[in-house]
Amino acid sequence: MIEAISVSYKYPDGKRALKNLNLLVNRGDFVFLVGPSGAGKSSIFKLLIKELTPTAGVLKVFGRNIAQYRGKQISMLRRNIGIIFQDFRLLEERTVYDNIEFAMRAGGCPVKEIKKKVPHLLKMVGLKEKANSQVIKLSGGEQQRVGMARAISNRPAMILADEPTGNLDPQTSVEIIDFLKNLNLKGTTVLIATHDQQVVDHFKKRVIYLENGEIVGDEARGAYQRVLH
Amino acid sequence: MSFIKNIPFFILESWKGLFRNGWMSLASVAVVAITLFMLSVFVLITLNVQHWAEVIKDEVEIVLYIDENATSSEEASLQEKLDEHQEVSSYNYVSRDEALQRLETQLGSRGDLLSGYDNPRENPLRDSYEVRTEIPEQVPQVAEEIAQYPAVAEIFYGEDVVENLFSATRVLQIAMMALMGALAVTATFLISHTIRLTVMLRRKEIMIMKYVGATNWFIRWPFLLEGFNLGLLGTVFPMVGIYFGYYQVQEWFESHMQFMPSMVSMPEAFIDVAMLVVPLGMVLGILGSTVSIGKYLKV
Repeated sequence: MIEAISVSYKYPDGKRALKNLNLLVNRGDFVFLVGPSGAGKSSIFKLLIKELTPTAGVLKVFGRNIAQYRGKQISMLRRNIGIIFQDFRLLEERTVYDNIEFAMRAGGCPVKEIKKKVPHLLKMVGLKEKANSQVIKLSGGEQQRVGMARAISNRPAMILADEPTGNLDPQTSVEIIDFLKNLNLKGTTVLIATHDQQVVDHFKKRVIYLENGEIVGDEARGAYQRVLH
Repeated sequence: MSFIKNIPFFILESWKGLFRNGWMSLASVAVVAITLFMLSVFVLITLNVQHWAEVIKDEVEIVLYIDENATSSEEASLQEKLDEHQEVSSYNYVSRDEALQRLETQLGSRGDLLSGYDNPRENPLRDSYEVRTEIPEQVPQVAEEIAQYPAVAEIFYGEDVVENLFSATRVLQIAMMALMGALAVTATFLISHTIRLTVMLRRKEIMIMKYVGATNWFIRWPFLLEGFNLGLLGTVFPMVGIYFGYYQVQEWFESHMQFMPSMVSMPEAFIDVAMLVVPLGMVLGILGSTVSIGKYLKV
């Protein structure tokens, strides 16, 4: 699903974000990316959605080298990747329904299907009653659920969650990750970049450790703190 | 295909976008409306100045005095030549009696000065033709040509006055056009910058749309239509203002400025302004939003 071969990324000002990254994530994997701020977690996500292009190496997503992707190809790639952000990144002035409808329309979903599917998605994330509420009036946890409903609305093969619990209380955090775990059980590949030790330790999944733009560890059932072998 | 299916969505989104960003939209519409109103007023002034210049120039005519010793065949030949002349638009025969009557009317209360000339034999005036040309600027050239015709005693067209009038109206027209052009350019900058600001304030929204996999055109269409709506709304107010305001001005002008030629009549003046201002508002709205959105789509 994801294959990075010696991938590096340097910002235009010469600052290095990622160095010689080698990584393989298979279909159906559930992976935590951990590491201090600036370690390169978000940069990996930006490379995966082609917001950035590797300055060296080969990055394959869904079996294809995405380096040459342009315009519509990038849009198609992103429709197949659901993204969840720490700051939710919702269309705040719009309703919950509108946010999900927009993503589905952008993903080319027919109107009939959108009308049928949005209530179902909102039920899944426990927001059925809030369909017509303006996003800006929701709590942080509710906004993140809208973000999740949006992320899965186009049935993506992969979910990227960048600090999804960063602004949430511990209880809501576990609920969010539980939701992602359930998606993963149905075959969706999930990558979560996080600082949340409690969450990582609770789920005991694959953990990739990053430091200064390099992978310094990769444990199949890891904890937040890396154990040096 | 998906574009056609999405047209209602794009249209709805464009209006929703306008209302969602109420204050900013209102500010943009106000800038478009005020700028286009100023431009419209200036266009109307220019139109009227041009119209007056034309009216005054149209008054310019050549007076051709017929030689009193000319034979009737020479006079017939003169009329024939005037008929055939390509640049002569019309001519009017004024007999010496009619000329005397006109003079009397012009002198008004001092008309008695002419007593004694009533007898045709005593009338010192000549028969004449008042000749008008297709284009007023052709008067000096045509005058020179018809002076050579048979039976012509003398030609008069107020040489110095006419040439000064022509150059003055030319300078005035050029100056008005230049000022109007400058105002149109200013309006273009002002409107496109305002719309740019509207789009800039919504860059986060555009970025989010990109993250969920919207294509550039899927994002662009509602913005483009929103720009069109802004332009459309921005032109409605000046057009309504001009429509009703011009009537008032025209009424006042006709009753207080009787010595001036009349103003350009209403439907024509309005149509001329609308033909310039309405497309300008819409095109600027569309271009302003389409150009501004471009740089935020590179995510």
